[in-house]
Order: sequence, then structure tokens, then C-alpha cells
Amino acid sequence: MSNFRTGQENAHPQKKSMIMSTLIVVLLANLLIQIWLLYTALNNALDGHQEVAYSTFIASLVLFLAGTIWLYFLPKNVK
Amino acid sequence: MENEDKHWKQDFPINRGEAIQVSRRDFAKLLAVVSGGMVLGNGIIAAKAFFSDDEAIGEKQKICTKNDIPVGGTKSFVLKNDSVPYILIHTEEGEFYAYEQKCTHLSCAVYYKPGTLKIECPCHNGWFDVKTGEVLQGPPPRPLKKLVVTLQGDDIFVQHPKTENV
Repeated sequence: MSNFRTGQENAHPQKKSMIMSTLIVVLLANLLIQIWLLYTALNNALDGHQEVAYSTFIASLVLFLAGTIWLYFLPKNVK
Repeated sequence: MENEDKHWKQDFPINRGEAIQVSRRDFAKLLAVVSGGMVLGNGIIAAKAFFSDDEAIGEKQKICTKNDIPVGGTKSFVLKNDSVPYILIHTEEGEFYAYEQKCTHLSCAVYYKPGTLKIECPCHNGWFDVKTGEVLQGPPPRPLKKLVVTLQGDDIFVQHPKTENV
């Protein structure tokens, strides 16, 4: 029986290529948000507001987990 | 004989393209690893915030007496159980102020410029207000960290502002 993931593998190469590019764009966007969170945490910690680091850490962790799960949808054998 | 049938291909099964180019699949995995690095960095900041012990350096400490610092003069000191350099300033108005002697830009040592009521960072021409520690000019992003100065007779005491009321 086919699921979403195997169906995705059987898609047209051009479509798989588009999926791959989209996944990378989302991962890059996640990373940019994480860089901003790290910058905010560091600046606030140096300014004496260390509690900000807790919330940015949780947000960054959520983005990392989402990005890792995201990798499951990476198509194979895309040129 | 066709190139495809040559025996050496069995010894070098990896295509040149795969060896010298990063596939998009590998790039996506690399992004996930870098993302993990961001979490780690953020976690270190959060852990440092959680385990930092301001109480240890929070007690009131005597630095010197009024007569030890001439008007317009300064004295460098460090607090007990701490290694951060601080500077005690005796302004021309007769007030005493204590600040961390590290510029908030790139941690250069800052100095009081007598007669100006300003603290100077000579590295990148940063200037701070001696009364508040606020940035007046230059690249520093934040005010200087200030200690609370109290006078008891001729003695000058300083205290970390977070533990002032403890």
C-alpha cells in the first residue's frame, strides 16, 4: 500500500525537484529565524535580561525539531 | 572496447559528480545540523543564565576612602569572587560612580576623561555619560554596567545593583 512518502517518490522528477527546493527554502528560513533568536538571546543576556534566553531556547528547539522532521520528506534520487 | 566495459570502473565506483558536488539532499541535512548548532548555542546561554550566581558577588564591598581618589581621578578594582574589572570615578561635581571597565562594543578598557563628565572607549571612539552610563556616541550597543555606590563616612562601598535590596 502506498503512503504519501512513497507516492512522492513516484512523482515526476520536475515535481520532486520543486519539492526539494521548497524544503531547502523552508529550512533556510528556519535557520535565519534561529540566528535571530540567538542574537536576541545574547544581546539580552549581556544587557542583564537573562530570562529571555529561556524562551528563545525553546523556540529554537522547536524549529530544530521541525527542521529534522522536515528531512523525512526529502525526495531521493533527484538530479 | 567501450569505455563503459573497462575493468577499472569497478575499482572507482563513485561518479566524479557525486565526489566533487554537494547534492541538495546533503545540503538540506547540513542545514539541519547547523540548526542543531543554533539550539546548542542558545542552550549554553540559557544554562549560563540559569546557573549564574550573582549572590556571590552581591555583597557590599569597601573599595577605598574618599581621600584615596583626587577630584577627576579614578581607581580600578575587582570585586571579591569575581574577575571583571571595574572603575570608580570621582567626578568634578564631587560624586562617585562605579562602572564595569569593559566597553559594551568589543570589551576594550574604558577611561574617564577628566573635565568632560564622559567616559571614553579609545578603541572605536565610543563615549558614555558618567552619571548614567548611557551611550552618548559611537558603536557601543548598550550602556555600561553600573554598580551602586554608597558613602559611609569617608569610606566608599559598592554593590551589585541586582542584590542591592537583598
